[in-house]
Amino acid sequence: MNLNEELKKIIVKDLFLEDITWDQIEDDAPLFGEGLGLDSLDAVELVVIIQKHFNVEIKDMDEGRVAFQSINSLASFIRERQTS
Amino acid sequence: MTEKPQARQWTSRSIGSTFQHNIFYVLIRTGGWRLAYFILHFVVLYYILFRPAVRKRCSYYLSRRFPAEKSFRRLVSSYRLSLELGKILIDRAVVGILGVDRIKALFNDREILLDLISEGKGVIFLMAHVGSWQVALSALHFLKIPVNMVIHREEGDIDRHYFEHQSMEWPYRVIDPEGFLGGTLEMMEALKKGEALCIMGDRIFGNLKNALGVRFLGENALFPFSAMKIASTSGAPVVVLFPYKAGATGYGLKLAKVIRVPAGQGRSGEQFLPYLEEYVRALEKFTMEYPFQFFNFYDMWKTPYVN
Repeated sequence: MNLNEELKKIIVKDLFLEDITWDQIEDDAPLFGEGLGLDSLDAVELVVIIQKHFNVEIKDMDEGRVAFQSINSLASFIRERQTS
Repeated sequence: MTEKPQARQWTSRSIGSTFQHNIFYVLIRTGGWRLAYFILHFVVLYYILFRPAVRKRCSYYLSRRFPAEKSFRRLVSSYRLSLELGKILIDRAVVGILGVDRIKALFNDREILLDLISEGKGVIFLMAHVGSWQVALSALHFLKIPVNMVIHREEGDIDRHYFEHQSMEWPYRVIDPEGFLGGTLEMMEALKKGEALCIMGDRIFGNLKNALGVRFLGENALFPFSAMKIASTSGAPVVVLFPYKAGATGYGLKLAKVIRVPAGQGRSGEQFLPYLEEYVRALEKFTMEYPFQFFNFYDMWKTPYVN
């Protein structure tokens, strides 16, 4: 299972998304607002989820702005932090 | 998923003009708070008698708090409510113009707060638009941790915070709830560092789906559960704090409740309802004790429901 797929499954399960399945999430669709439709409170949860599953910390708003654009950007952020 | 309608029906803009505010600043400089209070009585009387929009703004809350009141009593209550708000705005300016020591702010629960802070998970001060939070926060200087205030200031908001009168440094960091992702990442960052986060729990920002209907003063009103969600995720305790004006130059800060929200509450807001209820019950109790110190001048009971 690649990282993008793993992320999608984790997001659907841990954020309790009920009206979408993991394979309906597009790699480059925005996570927040239009697209997957997550909101600001989901962002709070997502920070914790990423730390729990990947041991990667999203420390501040600047990092969140980069990481939380799409599944692709989140996967890139995690890869980058895990290798550095 | 579709976006729900936006929730904000209130405004932080003052009803007075910049000129009117400046007159009061001059009165404070020349005659102190007593002169400003004296003039305020007439100004408020004018607004209550000749500005129906001001009476209407007062009526949303007063009609729930005092449902049996008839027209004359309602007029008197509108006057008292507006007068209290005016006094609080004057006090804020007094602190800025004449110095912080002009107003005494008392807080009796220092030990409880210090214990909560020593847990190292930060602390969420869940407040409301009551009393004067700017003045009351000065009672928390003993905490010695940075304070982050979640506030949004609209363009055209001419009320000055006390520290703006003397171009002082802001005594707290501001997190704008209308910023990126509602400022939630900054809030989490602050709590992770063990800092204090002040959130107003009685007004909704952003999406209505982050709010729940809770009975308040006899009718359902919408309250945001964001603070409870952040507490659940971060492990930070929620401390319900209500500042109140106590006498001409004194303020108190009431620690009404400490709420612990367990982790793993899920995405739906319903799980947060019991914790939100605790906050709303505490707020309701406050309005019983200080009926003319609740300053939400919009119809928070008529916000469209989503749950």
